[in-house]
Amino acid sequence: MNELNCLEHPTLKVPYEVFNKRYRSAQRVLDVEARQVASVTGEIDTTTKNQTVTTGEIDSLLGGMVEKLTTMKRKASEAINEELQAAYVCKKRLEHLKEQASALNEPSTPQVRTAMNQWRKVRLDRMLVDYFLRNGYYKTANKLADARSLRDLTNAAFTIGSRFTPTPIPYTKCQRREIKERIHSPSFELQIEFANILGPNIYAAAAEVESELCQQRTARCLQWCADNKSKLRKLNSNMEFKIRIQEFIELVRDDKRLEAVRYAKKHFSTYEEGQLEDIQHCMGMLAFPKDTEVEPYRSLLGGDRWAGLVEQFRWEHARLLHPARLPALPIALQLGLAALNTPYPLHYIINLQIRPSAQKEARSYMCTGHVKSLTIVYNQCYKESTKVSACPVCQPPLNTLSRSLPHAHCSHSRLVCRITNEPLNEHNQPMVLPNGQVYGEKAIKEMVKLGSIVCPKTKEVFSLKSVEKVYVM
Amino acid sequence: MEACIGVEQDLDKAISKFTSLNDHTDKVLHDIVEQVENLKKEIAKQPANTPLSQTQAMVVSELAARVKKTVFQMSTEHRELHATVSKVGKTIDRHFIVDYGSVAPRAESFCCDENRPIMEQAIAQHLYRQGLEDVGDSLVAEARIPAVERTCTFALLQRCAAALAEGDPTPALQWVEERGQELAHSPLPFTLHRMQALKLAREVGVVAAIEYARAQFPAHAARHERQLQAAVCALAWCTPDAPPAPPHYAHLLDPAALGAEAAELFIRESCALLRLAPLSPLAGGVLAGARVIPALHDIRTKMAHPHVIAAWGDDELPLEVDLGEDGGGYHSVFACPILRQQASEQNPPMRLLCGHVISRDALNKLAMGAKLKCPYCPMEQAPAEARQIYFS
Repeated sequence: MNELNCLEHPTLKVPYEVFNKRYRSAQRVLDVEARQVASVTGEIDTTTKNQTVTTGEIDSLLGGMVEKLTTMKRKASEAINEELQAAYVCKKRLEHLKEQASALNEPSTPQVRTAMNQWRKVRLDRMLVDYFLRNGYYKTANKLADARSLRDLTNAAFTIGSRFTPTPIPYTKCQRREIKERIHSPSFELQIEFANILGPNIYAAAAEVESELCQQRTARCLQWCADNKSKLRKLNSNMEFKIRIQEFIELVRDDKRLEAVRYAKKHFSTYEEGQLEDIQHCMGMLAFPKDTEVEPYRSLLGGDRWAGLVEQFRWEHARLLHPARLPALPIALQLGLAALNTPYPLHYIINLQIRPSAQKEARSYMCTGHVKSLTIVYNQCYKESTKVSACPVCQPPLNTLSRSLPHAHCSHSRLVCRITNEPLNEHNQPMVLPNGQVYGEKAIKEMVKLGSIVCPKTKEVFSLKSVEKVYVM
Repeated sequence: MEACIGVEQDLDKAISKFTSLNDHTDKVLHDIVEQVENLKKEIAKQPANTPLSQTQAMVVSELAARVKKTVFQMSTEHRELHATVSKVGKTIDRHFIVDYGSVAPRAESFCCDENRPIMEQAIAQHLYRQGLEDVGDSLVAEARIPAVERTCTFALLQRCAAALAEGDPTPALQWVEERGQELAHSPLPFTLHRMQALKLAREVGVVAAIEYARAQFPAHAARHERQLQAAVCALAWCTPDAPPAPPHYAHLLDPAALGAEAAELFIRESCALLRLAPLSPLAGGVLAGARVIPALHDIRTKMAHPHVIAAWGDDELPLEVDLGEDGGGYHSVFACPILRQQASEQNPPMRLLCGHVISRDALNKLAMGAKLKCPYCPMEQAPAEARQIYFS
């Protein structure tokens, strides 16, 4: 297993889902159009059987058929082109993954290493865009995707607000021919402009639904629920039900109680298992004034429910695209911090009565102030004197997050020189000073002045002759 | 790699099928429209109120039947592609892990209200360090997190590196010249001068490049003799009508690769000089994480599911992961080679007289009264002669 197999499933699966969706809608378009043509042919069939038919009638019927067939031709080509575009997005991402896959296989020459580091940088940017999109930071996501030109590789497809001036993307040769034909044909529709915004604008619709929900409007969200009905049902989603309840609450808030009852009759009568209690609460609300202090009606009428709906929508939308609960970023970050967390426990027994200054320190670890002495397990990442500036765990703000994480398992020694930050091995032998402090050979050479050395830790002075080698297996 | 190739095969198949279907549909429909139009013209030749003759009626109904058959065939042909499409999805599912998060059962804690802002601050910090102030500001505003301190030093370094990656060594050279003394032992100045010389050769001409080399290279001749020779030789292939360069020089003549390599070296060396971390904490953490995830998935396929979860209950990861040269190893960790245990304050590393290091517990176990034989060499000594040492 490698880094690609484990992390990149959504990278391919999301555009695939778009491809699949477009396939299904193309099938629908073809079926509808075929039926339209068939109805005209049926008409022609019955008319020709009639003895008294004139050529004029047939002529106009044939004209109708030509029109239907041209429409079908146009729509079929549009639909299939859209499918192809989705497939090409998938293909493009695959190409990107292949870059890394071949680098993982090849021997690591410096050039390949550089390419790999570059690829990893792009991966981090992709993870960030994905994280932003899933948390509703649409502007940030778009800005980052633009700054690093990652539109094809992420799901950030186009900028909000510029929806009606999409950047023109080069048409394929076939499309260009189509457009030329259509411009000269009378049935040219503006619609094509919108059909040709390439790439899956997956999150654009979500951003719109969210901004509407923030303004307490539900139309688009209900539309979205209807569009994805079967999938939402498969996922046991109660999004639509929640929206219906919210609309009912809004009617009660406006004191349109009769209308609310009518609304309830229409939408709540087909309730599903587990929803009855919510409906009962709703109906109970009818009996109370809108500024009631009685629970649960007070919280039902609270304004913060809209924010909850936005959250839920965001979650359901992400779930519909990909089954993973969380974006890859927090997962990779958490495991990475755990793997970097130092396992070298230094036990400090602090007697709180002797060292009152330690109380403050202790309080940040323990909430109970009545302990007389306690053992605090420090490790290198959390003690000021042993922190390393390059270590992600040692630095704020991630330092706070790492405290509760497990630490790396370590059964082999891994030594680093404190001065040069270079690994200690046969090229940089570990050396010990008479006071027991270990530094690398290179650092010792740098520190020697006139045959003597000052230990950077204890400031003691030793002669170079007293420095000895250390062998760590 | 097989994963990518597997998906690619299916995807390519789908794409080619859809492309040919597109052409086919186009052509068939075009033909049938033409046929109908021809027949229409034929019929329209007669005055509009002539009754339809028997033969004409037959021709018309025949054509109508054919049209009907064709359009339904179109939709059937499209429907038959369903297997091709769904195969792509299945291949993706087979080769890539759907539930990548299953090895991090605590990951949700990073997304809770308490920890999320901390992580997002780290993200903002990373963005500022990359020189993306605009994106960072936008994140701070949208996520409503406390403002993050901006570090100008990194932004400057990143700008130099970005220019290098684009092929322009000027800002980096300026930065390096200001610190000539401190960088005396670094390969960075030579790399940048070499890049500038090769750039001049490409853009101005070999003569300009040689002049530049004459001015700049002698100072580095002692330390980079071979590379210097290679760089000057590479100039031979910089003329417009030069034959393709031998593979040994291809790297020097590819400006993109040279730029990327120089950018990386620049970040590494300049950060080392300023005693800064070359990776932002976020980038470092994610880089290590990306290496841990495959290892954890591997162990999960070998062990029963609950073990991995249980491993998270302890305060230690279930296995040791090699984080690579540039991905880990920030702190010294001593594990006793005898007991395979990490050292602690109670069980510190001890250096024997012969220089070998074992933990104090191991030392006590190996000691026979006042005698101890080193487990790694023949030397005999008294246990009391061992001394505690400190790695951090």
